Amino acid sequence: MKKYINIVLILLVAACTWSACKKDFPVDEDGLLITTRQECYVSSFELLGTDFVTVRVGAAVIDTTAQTIDVTVQFGTDLKNLYPQFTLASDCKLDPKITGKVDFSDLAHPKVYTVISGNRQIKKPYSVNITVQPRQ
Amino acid sequence: MQRRKIYHYSFLPAALLLLVVACKKQEYALPTPKDVLQNDCIKRTLGPNIVGQKIEFAYAMAILPAKGKLVSAEVEASIAGAPGTYMENKSYYTDQGGVDVGIPIGDSSVTKGTNTAVTFTTDTFATTLRYYYVIPDEARGKTVNFTFTTKSSNGETASFSMGPYTIAKMDMVRNLKVSTDKMAYISIADMTVYDSTAAAANPDKIDLVYVYRKFDSSAFNHALVSPAADTNYLPGVMLPAGVSRNSKLIKVFNLQDYNLALLQYGIYIDDVDFQKLDFTNAPDYAINLKAEAGAWIETADAKYRAYIYINSVKSDGTAVISIKRLAL
Repeated sequence: MKKYINIVLILLVAACTWSACKKDFPVDEDGLLITTRQECYVSSFELLGTDFVTVRVGAAVIDTTAQTIDVTVQFGTDLKNLYPQFTLASDCKLDPKITGKVDFSDLAHPKVYTVISGNRQIKKPYSVNITVQPRQ
Repeated sequence: MQRRKIYHYSFLPAALLLLVVACKKQEYALPTPKDVLQNDCIKRTLGPNIVGQKIEFAYAMAILPAKGKLVSAEVEASIAGAPGTYMENKSYYTDQGGVDVGIPIGDSSVTKGTNTAVTFTTDTFATTLRYYYVIPDEARGKTVNFTFTTKSSNGETASFSMGPYTIAKMDMVRNLKVSTDKMAYISIADMTVYDSTAAAANPDKIDLVYVYRKFDSSAFNHALVSPAADTNYLPGVMLPAGVSRNSKLIKVFNLQDYNLALLQYGIYIDDVDFQKLDFTNAPDYAINLKAEAGAWIETADAKYRAYIYINSVKSDGTAVISIKRLAL
């Protein structure tokens, strides 16, 4: 009888261990959770200078249909050394990743950032169009 | 069954005994003072040790009255201090109003070479004396050590070693007044500000121009601009002949270095901070600078790196700046 109880206990522990280690949710190549959300847009945008103070003049205009971000920056902004900050819909991620300063000085060729939805099925590229405020 | 009962009955008194012992109050006993001459020391200044600035120590010494009294206190520095190095001959206490009141305990200190000494003239058994070491140029980039020694009337001697302390290679200058219409030309090499006449006489030493302009449609305000920068950043500025150097700048905010700002922030810029800077793609201007902002600078010949801190600004086109500089 004792022998059977031990076997049952061992099987129970093994089953618990197996179920505890089982992966419930899928993750992507960045280790981020893949969800069922389909929302895919930029909700706000910020641009900081090397002093980590905003260089924007007014709020950035985000067009989720045209997939553009239009932002006017102060006269004298050092366009080669800017820190962009995106706020995205829930569970979205951005490609390319922002890892430091970004050079926005080539105004003729706006930077493009792609927003990827929570379910990783929808991808929307956004162009960041910068206009420098005139001095006078 | 009988054995289990015995266990139970013996466990209970043991637990009670443990509780009594654990709760027993230990009687406080006054510590017995050591009956020899004693001393201790702390360094009071924080941050980098900069040439021309002071390092402050507080040196405490005491002896039991029954054993004797203090006779002298002296400090031996490994590198002689610059003029102004001294040891206080007063022992301080703080009165009820919070004011430090000094009681003279001896003659003014005498500094001979690396040695600074105070001879006691009043009967003193315990005191703390401040020692101010003015860092000499000779110590730049080196380390300096201090040995504090006190002697008592019964012939005892006690010593305390402090250091080594590394002396920074950088220089510092505080509170330079700049004005857009007169004293506008900043020399990092000379750590000073020139007017246009002096700038014309030293064009190869002018690294920056201070500019103040008020525009309705843009925020220009207070600016530090390289002479070689685009003229858009030098509106209405007629540069003296030959002033054309091209320094690089990185605009900074919230870096209120304590040595430069003398504010409550415990931030210190040291030699290593200059060495870590990367001026790749840095612009040659920094506009719309506010009070308590600043800029890192690298001179055109890459001979110097500096941090200019804006102490204050006024809308009449004047500002007060302070500079830390490292020769590379």
